[in-house]
Amino acid sequence: MNWIGLWTLTSREVGRFFSVYRQTILPGLISSALYILIFGFTLQQRIAEINGVPYTLFILPGLIMMNTLTNASSNTASSMLQMKLLQQLPDILTAPLSSLEISLAYIIGGTVRGFVNGTLVLLLGVLLIGLPVSSPIFSLGYIFIVAWTFSSMGLLLGQLADSWDQLAMMQNFFLTPLSFLGGIFYSIKMLPEWAQVLSFFNPIYYMINGIRFTILGISDSPPIISFWMALAMALIFFFSAVALMKSGRKIKL
Amino acid sequence: MTTSAVKIQKLSKSYNGSEALSDINITILDGQFFGLLGPNGAGKSTTINILTGLVRKDSGNIAVFGKDIEKDYRFTRSQIGTAQQELSIDWFFPIEKLLQYQAGYYGISPKNAKERIEELLNRLGLWSKRKSRLRQLSGGMKRRYQLAKALVHDPKIIILDEPTAGIDVELRHELWDYLRQLHQQGKTILLTTHYIEEAELLCEYVSIIHRGKVITEGAPKNLISQMGKAGITVHLTKWDDTLPALLQSYSYTQNKSQLHFTVKDAETEISKIISIISKNGCQIQRVETTKSSLEDVFLSLTGRGINE
Repeated sequence: MNWIGLWTLTSREVGRFFSVYRQTILPGLISSALYILIFGFTLQQRIAEINGVPYTLFILPGLIMMNTLTNASSNTASSMLQMKLLQQLPDILTAPLSSLEISLAYIIGGTVRGFVNGTLVLLLGVLLIGLPVSSPIFSLGYIFIVAWTFSSMGLLLGQLADSWDQLAMMQNFFLTPLSFLGGIFYSIKMLPEWAQVLSFFNPIYYMINGIRFTILGISDSPPIISFWMALAMALIFFFSAVALMKSGRKIKL
Repeated sequence: MTTSAVKIQKLSKSYNGSEALSDINITILDGQFFGLLGPNGAGKSTTINILTGLVRKDSGNIAVFGKDIEKDYRFTRSQIGTAQQELSIDWFFPIEKLLQYQAGYYGISPKNAKERIEELLNRLGLWSKRKSRLRQLSGGMKRRYQLAKALVHDPKIIILDEPTAGIDVELRHELWDYLRQLHQQGKTILLTTHYIEEAELLCEYVSIIHRGKVITEGAPKNLISQMGKAGITVHLTKWDDTLPALLQSYSYTQNKSQLHFTVKDAETEISKIISIISKNGCQIQRVETTKSSLEDVFLSLTGRGINE
């Protein structure tokens, strides 16, 4: 292993998003606070409780997940595409770095961003509405796995995309709808049966319910299934991203 | 025996069915200043991009100091520093930091790279700009930064893809001087260019590449004397009828008191011609030479100019 190389590229990836924290960290916090205030406080009076939990508390784990996965995936995807478009990729590809080292550096960078964002929203929940966190270690561990999963997925998309337009399409047409339909704002028990069945095919449904279980102790899906689902997705996306990098398709001619 | 720094054997590559390189063979000796000369689109960049790992080859072998560029990529890549044709852009970090990162990719810690980076920034006149972002640098400074980036891990082989494309004359000469210094320090330099002058001035050995094939190779001087044609024009004060007999071993044309000789090597022939004419008592008003260049070599091999 070229440890110094891996460390360098990783710290560059992390440094990159921290240097523009106004774009990469603050927006998630602000939009989460707005969701809590607007959706939570206005709808709470009408919806009251879901599965025995006040509505504002109910949506918070979903907001944590949404922030984690969008930040993790967009970090790797946009960093990879940017490097491609700005001619920075040759510097890395001509260096004595293996495909695994390059992939790891990107994925760690995206994971850190996803984890930081998810954890900050969690803290925001604790501070703003007294969110009770029943098993903090599990919550943080779960945020980490999801961040890793979507960071890997972002790297896959970033390699595949040739333009910002394509990347935005993948994010807007798949990631955002799937997160909203994964049950951030509702319990799937509130849906008609056919929609409940459809939700089982949405991976993000398991992620949201998994984190919700570690925080509030309630979940639509069995917690163990959520956990294995997240882990399986993490491995699938990680190995696919590395394999694509190794093949050089889309990044080498 | 001199070892080879780069050995390219039977390298082929096509893009979507159209052949970019076909059976290229190139050997670059350790410490050589080597030029890959050819028109735009000849396959120069493809060759070096395969060598550095940016493009996948279809077939053939490339070894760097005897090691395969795929099997031993960590070794071979650490021996090479590349200045790409296209300038990279970075919005986030000052150039000093970027050089530190670049060294890091090659396994050099920031502590160990510090001195080298300072030396390069000073030497390339970028020290005062070390805290600037790339976009704040002038075009010439960007080129110099790019060279610093290629040199930061002190590679034995330096590859420059069209280093002087689109830069002004002054900077070009500065860059040439610097490359000569590097060569004197024992670095192997591989330069791709479509500027004839650059290849002739700097390179000890050139391969001329055209439509994905090496069409000839050799020291520029030898290639020119083998294939090029130089001209010597002698203006006489008055014509003398005894001259044709004396000059019969030369190929020349006469226009009144003006003689135009076509020779292979103007430098050696000019004194002979002058002495024959002046011995005969003819007075020479003035002499002009037109030097042959690699352009003529390319022209005689392909029937067209290199930048046409």
